[in-house]
Amino acid sequence: MSAEAMVFLFGVIIGAGLLFVKVFFVILISDLEVDYINPIELCNKLNQFVLPEMFVHAFLSFMFLICGQWIATAWNLPLVAYNANKIMNNKHMFDATEIFRTLGQHKKECFIKLGFYLLSFFYYLYRMILALVNDS
Amino acid sequence: MRRPSAGGAALPPSPSIRPPMPGPAGSGHPGHPGHPGQPHQSPNGPPLQRPPPIGGIQRAPSPMMRPNMSQPGSPGMPRPFQSPQIQARPPFMGGHPGAPGSPAMNPMGFNGPPNGLGQNQSQPPTPKMQQQHLQGPPSQHPPHQPLGQDPGTLGGQMPGPSTPTPHAGHKPKRMYPTGITDSYNEPQPSYDQAPNGFQPPAPGMPAPGPGPVLGPGQVQGSQFFVPGEKQAPAFGQPVPAYQQGLQPLAGQPLQPNMNQLAGQMGAMNVGGGGGYGFNNQGPMLSTVALMGAAPKILDLDAPPPPINLPATASITQSPHANCDPSYKRSTLNAIPATSQLLTKSRLPFGLVITPYRSVKEGDDPVPVVTDSIIARCRRCRTYINPFVKFVEGGQRWKCNMCYTLNEVPSSFDYDSQTQQPVDRWQRKELNHAVVEYIAPTEYMVRPPQPLVYLFLIDVSYPAIQCGMVATAATTILESLDRIPNDEGRTKVGIITVDSSIHFYNLGAESGEPQMLVVSDLEDPFLPQPNDLLCNLSDCRSTLEALLNRLNDMFKDTQNVGNALGPALQSAYKLISPIGGKILCLQASLPNLEVGALKMREDPKLLGTSKESTLLQSASSFYKTFAVDCSKSQVCVDMFLFGSQYTDVATLSCLPRFTGGSTFFYPAFTAAKSEDALKFAHELAEFVSQRIALEAVMRVRASKGLKMSAFYGNFFVRSTDLLSLPNVPRDQSYSIEVSYEDNLSIPIVCFQTALLHTSSSGERRIRVLTLAVPVTTSLSELYMSADQVAISTLLACKAVERGMNSKLDDARDALTNKCVDILGVYKTHMTASSSGATPNLQICDNLKLLPLLTLGMLKHVALRGGSQIPSDLRSYAMHLFSTLPSQCLIPYIHPKFYSLHNMPEHCGTIASNGIEMPLAMNLSSERLERGGLFMLDDSQNIFLWVGRDAVPQLCMDLFGVPNYESIRGGKTTLPTLESDFNQRVNLIVGKTREMRRTSYYPQLYVIKEDGDPALRLWFLSHLIEDRAEPIMSYYQYLGHLKDRVNASSF
Repeated sequence: MSAEAMVFLFGVIIGAGLLFVKVFFVILISDLEVDYINPIELCNKLNQFVLPEMFVHAFLSFMFLICGQWIATAWNLPLVAYNANKIMNNKHMFDATEIFRTLGQHKKECFIKLGFYLLSFFYYLYRMILALVNDS
Repeated sequence: MRRPSAGGAALPPSPSIRPPMPGPAGSGHPGHPGHPGQPHQSPNGPPLQRPPPIGGIQRAPSPMMRPNMSQPGSPGMPRPFQSPQIQARPPFMGGHPGAPGSPAMNPMGFNGPPNGLGQNQSQPPTPKMQQQHLQGPPSQHPPHQPLGQDPGTLGGQMPGPSTPTPHAGHKPKRMYPTGITDSYNEPQPSYDQAPNGFQPPAPGMPAPGPGPVLGPGQVQGSQFFVPGEKQAPAFGQPVPAYQQGLQPLAGQPLQPNMNQLAGQMGAMNVGGGGGYGFNNQGPMLSTVALMGAAPKILDLDAPPPPINLPATASITQSPHANCDPSYKRSTLNAIPATSQLLTKSRLPFGLVITPYRSVKEGDDPVPVVTDSIIARCRRCRTYINPFVKFVEGGQRWKCNMCYTLNEVPSSFDYDSQTQQPVDRWQRKELNHAVVEYIAPTEYMVRPPQPLVYLFLIDVSYPAIQCGMVATAATTILESLDRIPNDEGRTKVGIITVDSSIHFYNLGAESGEPQMLVVSDLEDPFLPQPNDLLCNLSDCRSTLEALLNRLNDMFKDTQNVGNALGPALQSAYKLISPIGGKILCLQASLPNLEVGALKMREDPKLLGTSKESTLLQSASSFYKTFAVDCSKSQVCVDMFLFGSQYTDVATLSCLPRFTGGSTFFYPAFTAAKSEDALKFAHELAEFVSQRIALEAVMRVRASKGLKMSAFYGNFFVRSTDLLSLPNVPRDQSYSIEVSYEDNLSIPIVCFQTALLHTSSSGERRIRVLTLAVPVTTSLSELYMSADQVAISTLLACKAVERGMNSKLDDARDALTNKCVDILGVYKTHMTASSSGATPNLQICDNLKLLPLLTLGMLKHVALRGGSQIPSDLRSYAMHLFSTLPSQCLIPYIHPKFYSLHNMPEHCGTIASNGIEMPLAMNLSSERLERGGLFMLDDSQNIFLWVGRDAVPQLCMDLFGVPNYESIRGGKTTLPTLESDFNQRVNLIVGKTREMRRTSYYPQLYVIKEDGDPALRLWFLSHLIEDRAEPIMSYYQYLGHLKDRVNASSF
């Protein structure tokens, strides 16, 4: 198996994981909207995933970079920058006191990221298959 | 016209007016054996059918029904109208469990007059009769049963010749013996005929036009009737045709419904279909021009535009049925029917709620429902209120929010203490919009918590130095008796903090307080499990000993550390099992361990777009800590003192999310007796307030509306649930309302429920109900807009905006809102709908909105410029979002009086308290060189003395020979013999106590040529003047006009 296939296989697995995390976010946020969960619990649950998600995504982008997958790197770079900016401004965490005011924003962001990860997932899958076919 | 074509006269008279017929006791309907199975609509058929009720209500009333509501024959014969009302009562009473067989029923009038004048009604209450009462609608009106139910089912809308709705007879049919059920169904024809009896233009009858709507007084009077007094005469008198028609209708078991109908229909007729139930008889929209005249500021104290509910909107027509504006007011006293209309009008829509308003002498106390019978809608959980409808003979009530039918609790009409039936209409929850229930155990997750006061006092060097500790200790000591302690459960504790945390064992046997020092700030622990928090009555002597010595213990300290964060954590550990109040008295910036803050104010940032970062919390510790506190019902209050930067923005986070209060004393030094007095007064007032504990608040609204944004000090726990560990007195909350759906109902209700534990340890629910009519007309909307509530809501929104984005944005948003409102008004409400106009016009009730907006723009909270320290700004913002309208309006637009030439009677004690002079416009034109002026912004009082003040004035007021000897700055006015001094002192005293908050305004004397800073501060309150860089009032109007003319709406 070539390095290319390996890195995209890795991408597919991580992409699926990120996808799951985002689905989890969306579910919890809609739970909050219908009052199944209180904001404190929601924030406690979501906040433990925020940083891991960002780091895993950054790590994946880094992997693409060192493997010379320029397209994949370029595709992921804006999100890495966006996340980094959020961490710098200390705005990455969910804040229980503000959550209802910012709920719409969070939801929108979640859906956009969900779409992004979905597209990435299929792209990685395609590239992985392509690489495997080329290998054999 | 739905009137049946068959001539009414030919038909048999309606049963109610049949001659008295002493039928055999127990057989309810001797007159009807002839038509037992007659179908309901048989004689008149479909034309009579009313369309089934659709969601409600506002069906145009058929004109012929109107005479029911008016009293055409009233002068001559009031009786016939009264009698049905009398009949209306019985079902409720009969429905209660204690009733069967009890002779009490008759004396209370349940069964109609005992004198035998009525026909069926007058039958003696045989057991069988009672039985029927018990089960449902009264037997004496059996023929009316279906109709009687009908209006109720419809939300009391309109009685018409009707087919029974699906509800009608549904339940009773199941419950009644067949014979009775039959007779219920049988008399339907007489209904259909009934209306024929009173065709609108009946001869000898007033035209049905805007007939006198049944006034509240009339109805009220008839509700508590004397048995036998009013009922009978109808039968004995020649009854005009229209009354025949009235009779059956009036015989509905539910009089209040009928009244409601009357009101609504009367109103609708007048309105010509323009609005739903909105009464147009009120003042017409009066447009005033803004430019060219000084604003009429006296109208700031005017009551809000009236809520024009139909006279009979509430079932009891109690004068207290709708909420007092001091508890809850809506920005719009007529609600737009569609969200498009609201958007078109650009008016902000929200509520300003002060649920735990203090009740001073002379105010009505909040009535308390003591019997724990809490009727709530099973679907939307609304509490029963004066605007619900009773249907099915009073056995069920229809929720006025979601229109679900609910059972009336069986003991609703019964007083379990006296074992007597009670009159339902006397129940407090049906008569008062503001009511408190004593909650049963279902409303508790644990036994009601006792009051807990934990004082967390900073004893570092700056705190001792400025005298805060000494003043606080004395004040607490003196207010120990005032701390609410009804049941002897109140607990008190003291923690002091510098670079270590000091606990005090108050339960020591010796009566000597014992100090326990914890220096481990990384992981603070409680040095002993109990006695750190002690019962106030038990540890009184120890506590007194400690407070007496507190200042001396630290008076030589050189410690400048302040470990507020760890101290808060340990206080939380101490208090969280119970919940309660942590009062933080802080005179220095926390600088150790978690929660350490930096001196972050940078004068270079002030006045720039980065300024708002200084207004946000600097450390996440305080927010997370506040959330934890809120979870454990702990409230944190901040008393901040500081000669230097104190980071009010960060520290006020704790009160903001825990329902607390912030007090800020810039440059506090106890050596100045005024400073000490202000702090001592406020702290004493604060700890002696009877607050509410472990509260949650929810605001419900009629279907179609939802609460979308909340402003104030609380934690939002779910989309519409606010959690308030403590509810201080007189704190105000603003809530923005948005549409989920268009409204198809005539009246919208907002109900605020505050579930709390009172300071006397009772679990209580305070319910505030506000009913507001719905309108489709833009002019009604404008006419009913409440500028005071709008300003309060806009102030909260501006503060939120200023903190989260930029102050510039907040200011622009305010001006834009003003431009929008003026523009829409110009386009849609005035003749000059397009093109430039020479003047700005707005309706009379909004005429001060531009002035109030300008006041906000020029206020410390929002004013631009680089002169305002962020502490002051943060504190002003805190006040903006928590002050009730009563204080916020003078805070934005101060009261300005001229004292040297006030009329003789001002400042003297009159029958209604101390007479105040008339407020003047806030313009320096009013200042005179030899004058004495007072300005009161509800936080401070300024006395401005002109430089040419005559020596006599100086002598009379200050006791000094001339102007030069007057000392400027914070002052206490001397008490002198002179009449003028006494009058001014009375006015100042009245100003300090006339508002409902615990703030104690401080008095400043400003000399015209005195300290420039003070003088500028004073002049900055004169908001009609030009103050760089903000325009004067007239310039601002000009600016608004240009923008209104430039854009289209």
